Amino acid sequence: MQLFHIRYRNTQGTLMRILNAASRRGLELPAVQAAAAERDHQVTLALDVNQKQTGQLYREWYSIADVIHVGSGAAHTAAWVSHHPPAGVTLEDSRAAARA
Amino acid sequence: MLKGADIVLQCLRAEGVDLVFGYPGGAIMPLYDALDGSGVRHILTRHEQGAVFAAEGYARVTGKVGVAMATSGPGATNLVTGIADAKMDSVPLVCITGQVRSALIGTDAFQETDVFGVTLSLTKWSRLVRNIDEIPDVIAEGFHWARSGRPGPVVIDIPTDMLKAKKEFSGPSEFTPHARPADANADGGFTDTVVALLRQSAKPVALVGAGAKLSGAIPDLRRLLDRLSIPTFATVHGLGAVDPQAPYYLGMVGMHGTRAANMALHETDLLLVFGARLDDRVTGEPTRFAPHAKIIHFEIDPAQLDRVRPCDLPVIGNLADTIPAFEAELQRHSLPDFGGWRAAACGPERAELDPRGLAQPTIRFLDELFSRLPEGSVILADVGQHQMWAAQRYRSSSPRGFITSGGLGSMGFALPAAVGVQLARPDACVLCVSGDGGFQMNIQELATVHRLGLPIKMVIIDNKYLGMVRQWQQLFYQRNYAETDLSDNPDFVEIAKAYKIHGFRMNEDAMREFPVSPETGDQIDRFLRSPKPELLVFDCAPEANVFPMVPAGAPLSEMMLEE
Repeated sequence: MQLFHIRYRNTQGTLMRILNAASRRGLELPAVQAAAAERDHQVTLALDVNQKQTGQLYREWYSIADVIHVGSGAAHTAAWVSHHPPAGVTLEDSRAAARA
Repeated sequence: MLKGADIVLQCLRAEGVDLVFGYPGGAIMPLYDALDGSGVRHILTRHEQGAVFAAEGYARVTGKVGVAMATSGPGATNLVTGIADAKMDSVPLVCITGQVRSALIGTDAFQETDVFGVTLSLTKWSRLVRNIDEIPDVIAEGFHWARSGRPGPVVIDIPTDMLKAKKEFSGPSEFTPHARPADANADGGFTDTVVALLRQSAKPVALVGAGAKLSGAIPDLRRLLDRLSIPTFATVHGLGAVDPQAPYYLGMVGMHGTRAANMALHETDLLLVFGARLDDRVTGEPTRFAPHAKIIHFEIDPAQLDRVRPCDLPVIGNLADTIPAFEAELQRHSLPDFGGWRAAACGPERAELDPRGLAQPTIRFLDELFSRLPEGSVILADVGQHQMWAAQRYRSSSPRGFITSGGLGSMGFALPAAVGVQLARPDACVLCVSGDGGFQMNIQELATVHRLGLPIKMVIIDNKYLGMVRQWQQLFYQRNYAETDLSDNPDFVEIAKAYKIHGFRMNEDAMREFPVSPETGDQIDRFLRSPKPELLVFDCAPEANVFPMVPAGAPLSEMMLEE
């Protein structure tokens, strides 16, 4: 189980789009908490996902118009194999891996 | 003071809209009432699905935002397939739907549907207008998202009381997006890595998708490909992006791609992807896709990365920026000689399309049609066997010259889309190729064609089957042709006649001679050059198949060349 923290502008449908990115993949949503966070909003999701799904979710969440930031509470970065920004490793790391 | 409906239309004009497609109904009547004198021309289709496909056709051929309008409830739900189609194929589209009046929302009122909810997962952005004051901002933001980045569909749902209400109107709004994470490669720092990978490679290839057209980077891309001169192929939406005469071009790749393209993709050690999603129809079995290759993915939408297989180097950004940066870096380096690999990949024994191809009368027929088209023509293909035959035989270098529903595969797309294309390109020859199944899915748009006098050239490839499904039944379901028989098709020529459109039939016998007889050639020329709409029904062998074919779940290297 992994925690994701997504900061977003609380416009119509944005929270639903965030949740839909998970539900369209058949993922269970055992815990969802959304609340105001400073000037924006933040939703925290607990999801049971593999690394490929994590990468897809990061990128799909970022493609939602009013999503501002995606973060993760779990220390997945060290084992990250899908290294595409915005996802957790630097571009330098990404380029070095491609050359290897 | 202006009514909300007038404000909507003024805001549309401010976004450059002069043509919309739609179908009126109760909740959207105030908007229709305001059309006259607004400067926005409305095209009445005969079904809302026809309207949204027509708007898509307009958008696909112009690159501008297409606009469709419909009323609440069934009007709005009839747009849904077109919205999903636009999402899959990255088509800039704004759908404006009427909604029941605000006080009735949520009461299951007559013709109430939660169109915002229904389309949430299909749209790039959407809004239910709650206050007349929001209208200018909502339209400005909607058009921004429809056309920015990877283009896509937007829904704006407006309750009928918002359209009737009045307010002081100070002019259309401008939308400024909030700050987003910067494009990862905005610094151009990827280029040395791409060049380094090319220098390490022995068998590089390039795959071109729709993004090349959407970005407007075709001249840059062609110059780059000429410099690289590596085996190159296109997805169905990439057709026309590469000059088909280029010696390194291998045609379409994927499930019904050429043997040469699929084999080169299977053998490559470095795959450069330019603006393609790499969906399953392109990759075949994902775990065996380009098994020896590193993948460099040039893509504007990060959400498209790694869907089927992780790429090794993402190059996120607009191709109009990233390709020139790549080319500039290339000029400072020499590359290995890829001539041997190119010769092997493009050799004549590989480049042959379909061993039975030219012997197949329907393919010969499409070749005849396409070869006689005037410069600047636009071909639309519906969905099914004829679509793949047409894609295989498309030989134009016109980037927006081949239009089809590729991602969603929506039967019934081509005829209404051709309406939008012909309105956008009134001087072009617009050839609409459909199957007998798909044509009947939006056959009512013959009325639109007739009313507008659009000189669309409609072709039905009539095999009296749902041909592609029947082909799969033949190959993979022991010829159990369950519910694909259309042998009781109506007489399409008589139907066209009822809509006051001239039609005629041609059968395979006309294609048995090569070259075709002067009489047949003249008949095709007269058809293509008629100033009026025309229908040509081509009787196709019922069990003609599309080959090559990669069976679902197989790698691209395992093509079927015949049954």
